[in-house]
Amino acid sequence: MTENNKFLDDFHWLMDVLQHIDVGLVILDREFNVQLWNAFMQNHSAKSAADILGANIFKSFPELPESWFRRKVQTVFELQNQAFTTWEQRPYLFKFKNYRPITSIADFMYQNSTIIPLKDARGNVEQICLILYDVTEVAVNRIQIQEASEKLRVLARTDGLTNLLNRKTWEQELDVEFKRFARHHHKTSLVMFDIDHFKKVNDGYGHPAGDEAIREASRVLRENLRDIDIAGRYGGEEFTVILVDTDADGAFIVAERIRQAIEANTVTYEDITFQYTISLGICELSNAVTDKTNWIDRADKGLYEAKNNGRNNTVIYNGS
Amino acid sequence: MALIKISEEHRDALQEITNVAMGQAGDKLARLLDTFVILSIPHIEAMRPSDIAMALHAIDANESVSGVCQGFIGGGISGEAMLLFNDTSFTDLAKLLDYDDELDEQAERELLMDTTNVLFGACLKGIAEQIDMEFSFGSPTVLGQHQKVSEIFQMENAKWESALVTEISYELEGYNVQCDLLIIMTEDSLDLLTKKLDYLLE
Repeated sequence: MTENNKFLDDFHWLMDVLQHIDVGLVILDREFNVQLWNAFMQNHSAKSAADILGANIFKSFPELPESWFRRKVQTVFELQNQAFTTWEQRPYLFKFKNYRPITSIADFMYQNSTIIPLKDARGNVEQICLILYDVTEVAVNRIQIQEASEKLRVLARTDGLTNLLNRKTWEQELDVEFKRFARHHHKTSLVMFDIDHFKKVNDGYGHPAGDEAIREASRVLRENLRDIDIAGRYGGEEFTVILVDTDADGAFIVAERIRQAIEANTVTYEDITFQYTISLGICELSNAVTDKTNWIDRADKGLYEAKNNGRNNTVIYNGS
Repeated sequence: MALIKISEEHRDALQEITNVAMGQAGDKLARLLDTFVILSIPHIEAMRPSDIAMALHAIDANESVSGVCQGFIGGGISGEAMLLFNDTSFTDLAKLLDYDDELDEQAERELLMDTTNVLFGACLKGIAEQIDMEFSFGSPTVLGQHQKVSEIFQMENAKWESALVTEISYELEGYNVQCDLLIIMTEDSLDLLTKKLDYLLE
């Protein structure tokens, strides 16, 4: 075999490898015209090399974000540097189908890419090579883990019956608010309430009906709060709310609004309908409050007074 | 386990090589951003996993940063390059790179990646060329966004015991942009690295 034949032979199988490697290979010139389009690209795009060679990549693939991609490629031309893009930046460059259309949950192929400068015989870079990797499996796994941990985070923070913050999380928020007050001395109030004669509800209508009353109370509560207020389920039929940037008088207005809304509310459980009321205690945070437990204690004393006043009313705690 | 040792001559040689490489990288960054880049002298030290966050010179361990890392390997030398951006850098960086979009986490990731592409590529290529090697690169990965340096370098479960850390800080003249580039080479890279440095020292 002559040298020349050997070279052609080597070249032939090398091209075969490039053609069939399961990675996308695209060569582009400075005008973004396609110079090479291997089998991976042909099969996934359903565009043959004959269709696309010499054509502009942006005209053939409108989904490829032009200004973004130009900027990446420009730095490769100018700085003769390689550049990388990842699916976390942009899920895909070309909207290809996922390799496993039947068993995978991905709608498309997630892609990483590397863009490398190609030097000609004189050392000038007139072409770049885009290498496209299918990273769907990795991406899908990562996304599923993120979603699962977000669900767990929410579950760990909220109360299952009411979807309000659970006691542990709410107390953490209370702690933050107490510390914030120590630094900034802004107005902030705590409202604590519970359902009047809740035991009678449970005994009279059954526990599922009692649960429904708790669920209704939390719904009415949520409807009457601002986004910044922090509401939690403190115990069985006890609820707590931190009203940020609100003094005792402001908190009284909010508390009365909640009380009246609940007084007007009717609970329906299967064929039972009944009405119920709540009693509320308020404590505005001041320097007299020694710690967060003391703050809860004072609001609770207001609540106790409201009970003694005959229930279905609101009391601002003013004791020392 | 003893910390890896590197002699004064080897450290000086590596510092010199890094200096040249980061100069090239800085030049590319300057051309990309069209602004003057101020470089620190590379700081080279052998470290344990738990030391890294505290040992950084340019960034305080409690500052809020965003970081990217990228693995490299070639012959018998391997490691990771890391880029840490002070979170206050993004506004100015976005201006310099003509990012008009709203600066959300996604846009910040783009800025991180663009700067990373320029600095890592140039710096590591520069080092590789001088010691007559060629590296392969993994895909860059975001280490974390808006975290304390000490959180980004949570290395309680690290599989290595000591590594050679080169720290270089970049600043942009007239802008509030500060980043720290770390090149961390594994312990077993040192054999070949010192041999390569010996050629240069002869």
